[in-house]
Amino acid sequence: MTPCFAKEREGRPDPIQLAALAVLMFIGTMFVCSATMANATTALLPWYDQIWMRQIIWYALGLGAAAGICLTDYHTLARWSFVAYWATILCLIAVLIPHIGSTHGWGARRWIDLGPFQFQPSEFAKLAFILAGANFLSRPPDELQQRAIFWKGIGLMLLPFGLILKEPDLGSALVLLPTGLVMMFVAGTPLKYLLRLAAVAGILGTLLLADVLFAPPGWRIKMQDYQRQRLLVYFGANFAAGNATAKEKSEARRLQFEKSYQVRQALISVGSGGLLGKGWRKGDQTALGFLPPGAAHNDFIFSVIAEEEGFAGSVLVLALYAVVLFTGLRIAGQARDRLGKLVAVGVVTLLFSHVFINIGMNIRIVPVTGIPLPLLSYGGSSVLCSLIALGLMQNVHIHRRGY
Amino acid sequence: MLIFDELKKNDPQLRLVATVVVAGLGILLAGLWWVQVVSAHEYQSHLETQAYRTVRIPAIRGKILDREGRVLAENRPRFNLSLYLDDLRKPFDAAYNQLYRQAREGRQRALAAQEIKLNRSLTKPERKAFALTTAELQQLRAQARWSVANNLVTQVGQQLGQPLALDTTKFERAYQTRLALPFTILPNLDPGQIARFEERFTNGLGANLDLQAARVYPSGATAAHLLGYLRNDDSSQEGEDADFNYRLPDYRGVVGVEGRCDTELRGHAGAESVLVNNLGYRQSENILDPPEPGRNVVLTIDLDLQRAAEASLIRHRGADVRGAVVVMDVNSGDVLALVSSPTFDPNDFAQGISQDKWQRIQDLTAEKNRATYENYAPGSIFKTVVALAALENGLNPAEIYHVEANPENPAKGMIYVGRRRIKDTAPPGDYNFKKAFIHSSNSYFINAGLEHAGVENVLRIGKEFHLGERTGLFARQETSGDFPDEERIQANWSDGDTANVCIGQGEVAVTPIQMAVMVSAIANGGKVLWPRLIDRIEPQDPATGEAATNFPSGRVRNELDVHARSLKILRDAMLADVNSSEGTGTAAAVNGLHICGKTGTAQVQDASNKLTGYNFWFASYAPYENPKYAVVVMVESTGSGSGGTVCAPIAHDIYETILKKQNAATTKTLARN
Repeated sequence: MTPCFAKEREGRPDPIQLAALAVLMFIGTMFVCSATMANATTALLPWYDQIWMRQIIWYALGLGAAAGICLTDYHTLARWSFVAYWATILCLIAVLIPHIGSTHGWGARRWIDLGPFQFQPSEFAKLAFILAGANFLSRPPDELQQRAIFWKGIGLMLLPFGLILKEPDLGSALVLLPTGLVMMFVAGTPLKYLLRLAAVAGILGTLLLADVLFAPPGWRIKMQDYQRQRLLVYFGANFAAGNATAKEKSEARRLQFEKSYQVRQALISVGSGGLLGKGWRKGDQTALGFLPPGAAHNDFIFSVIAEEEGFAGSVLVLALYAVVLFTGLRIAGQARDRLGKLVAVGVVTLLFSHVFINIGMNIRIVPVTGIPLPLLSYGGSSVLCSLIALGLMQNVHIHRRGY
Repeated sequence: MLIFDELKKNDPQLRLVATVVVAGLGILLAGLWWVQVVSAHEYQSHLETQAYRTVRIPAIRGKILDREGRVLAENRPRFNLSLYLDDLRKPFDAAYNQLYRQAREGRQRALAAQEIKLNRSLTKPERKAFALTTAELQQLRAQARWSVANNLVTQVGQQLGQPLALDTTKFERAYQTRLALPFTILPNLDPGQIARFEERFTNGLGANLDLQAARVYPSGATAAHLLGYLRNDDSSQEGEDADFNYRLPDYRGVVGVEGRCDTELRGHAGAESVLVNNLGYRQSENILDPPEPGRNVVLTIDLDLQRAAEASLIRHRGADVRGAVVVMDVNSGDVLALVSSPTFDPNDFAQGISQDKWQRIQDLTAEKNRATYENYAPGSIFKTVVALAALENGLNPAEIYHVEANPENPAKGMIYVGRRRIKDTAPPGDYNFKKAFIHSSNSYFINAGLEHAGVENVLRIGKEFHLGERTGLFARQETSGDFPDEERIQANWSDGDTANVCIGQGEVAVTPIQMAVMVSAIANGGKVLWPRLIDRIEPQDPATGEAATNFPSGRVRNELDVHARSLKILRDAMLADVNSSEGTGTAAAVNGLHICGKTGTAQVQDASNKLTGYNFWFASYAPYENPKYAVVVMVESTGSGSGGTVCAPIAHDIYETILKKQNAATTKTLARN
């Protein structure tokens, strides 16, 4: 350690991470462009109305917000974290109310319309949760031994989880769990609590899965149809019950084919890319519309990259995320205090969960959940939140040697 | 590595987190490697099956040409007016949106009316009854595209001056199953319609002309039997890719040259792949494998002679006459004309034959090639064989044989064979060989056969001409004729049977092509040739430099084992039959050409030995001095007549054409010199 009197108040952001982020944003722009230009109607829009141009604007806004966040020491921010937390909880409740929340025709109420654009409170809830959680868990380790504190921490996590699940947005809700649990673990919550929790969760999860896959209709727990179908598709289970009539079976088969369409097309995109891909804007799957045009630039952007740039492109994307994640972990390790460390770990876990689930669903490692790929998928809320989260992490890095 | 900075530190929790992240990224990497590298081929083929449709493209069929390169069969572009459904996507969508809006508004009005009626707002399940179902939406789509396509078709029809209508079921089926291919709404436009269409519809309206190669036979029914005909058949041939999503129309040769040389004429079909999008619309196309054009078949036929022979047969006997003409080069065996009547127009088959025309062909047995595929009693033209057999076995041509008068008809002769009296058409009196030949005396030749040659020698000479065997001209359209063999005459064979054979009746049957081979052998000094119809098969485009396949001419099948003197005596008698005033074949004579011939009239009997009709024959060659052309004419008839009156005039016309052609060639040569 350098002597305290060096007093370096102003640090610099981590340059390696910034470089990786810049490359990711460049790739994001390129492939949002590739995915949307395939559509004849979108391609005819003037350049300033193009979706990739809007993505650039979101990047700019996100970078601005991140820079703004870096100006204030994260300790100051943490003091306001519970205000932010409860504000987002209010938003999450508001979004469930029909005239405030918007469904965008998708069946799930996830958006709040604000004139020209909409925002997704669940994205901001993740941020607020990280900050609030870090603030809550940064208390002295002795206190974390108390049962009450443990349950409070769990509650802090389950409140937004439950509200987001109600929208329903299973993917966004799910990423809160690893984020919260890892933060608790790193903060020093006794392992036995966490293990017990994990055991209970594991049993519940297995029961749920068994129910979805094998239970007769009367015994099934209430669940959205499409969620059950996604799980069935993922596990390759038959849609039809064992005692179904021939007509029901054929109907079920048709439904199964239809429901597994996205996964199948994503896999064909990724797989047909091969080692080196087909070249930028040369992906057949996108151009021919097999990859659903509404999802290609969004949740399935990775399929577009993997098809057009092949395994090489996929490895590059993974490597860039690896750089971001590991520099993030280094920032956590070098943080000045536990608050900083927890914020950094929270952001790393959140990003990692997104990356793993999103890429995993493109190659059928995880079931389809509508969850964006940070910085690459098109979408204002997602881009803004990812960049603000990264800003928080840089904030920890910049202010690692305070006082 | 930057992770290890962390791992070195004494911070087990962070180290665990880092390990989990490494493991997670490792799983993704392994998964991607599996999908993108190991299974890449599998997914690429998935992509291909869902995004590509292969189309079989037929090759351009080879032409059939006569010996001078004149076209007997070729291909002409045929323009079909077709809808290109991929160009109509936008109008389809627009029409659908409009219909959808109307339908939705209608439902909303109905819903509002219901609410007013009940005086309350409807509950959710009640509202659902007013929503449009998926099936209804599908139906709206179908309705939208049909109305768009139908409007376009009507509009085009008006411009072309021909009312057009769109068949709903056909259109829907094409939309569902052949979306990537043009949908034909009016086949085979005439030039006026093409011009009108091109003038008015130049932009991408969705309707356009679509080009197809159609087989045409410019001379219509000329040489129909030897050309054969085609059937629409787009199946894959051996050695071709068998797995296509779509096939464009193609032909397959059934009979004749089209059938026999089908493989060469057809070439190799190519393959095109059409890239389609998720809705099945065509996106782009790419020739995978260009079709390899078929080869041209050059025949030995001389179109002038073929036409002359057909015209003369019809002129003398009418269009429905059952008959055949063969003109052959006596030295090379080249078939110069091969006519069978009644005939048909092969163009009808290529375009899909109508029921009426097919019925007519059936009624007339017009598809039968009478020059090769029917057995006929040769009648007196068989006396040439008997003459050779007798001359070879000691018949003195100068020796006189006296023919007794028939007591029932003293103007005609007769002969007793055993106790059976055989009537003659020639008068009684003294006959030497030549006189007997030109009067076609049955008594003389029965006597010559029985007393001089003996049945064994008659059969030997017949065998040397390869009677009773196929000439190999057409693979599946030739009959061998009938000719008794050695075994046959060992058992239950009487002199009466020999007498019948000597006058070309009884157990002997021949085809006109066999008779042409026989006359050629007499003319050329004893060479029995394989007749030849195909001269060569050559590439359509000479620039490819591909070698042509040549079929040798003048292939000798057998040399007659007879003395030259015997042949000379026979030839002189044949010359006299046409040129002496007493001959039966005088009607064939042509000024400036010495024709040698033999007439024949065979009785046709049904199963109960009742006379049902006659086969009239004239077998001939010319010129006497330097033989070149053999002409055999055969006519089936139920009425009376004789080879000399029915067939010799037809041969006369053919020889006139030959002479004219020769003179024209000589003049041309002289002019050139």
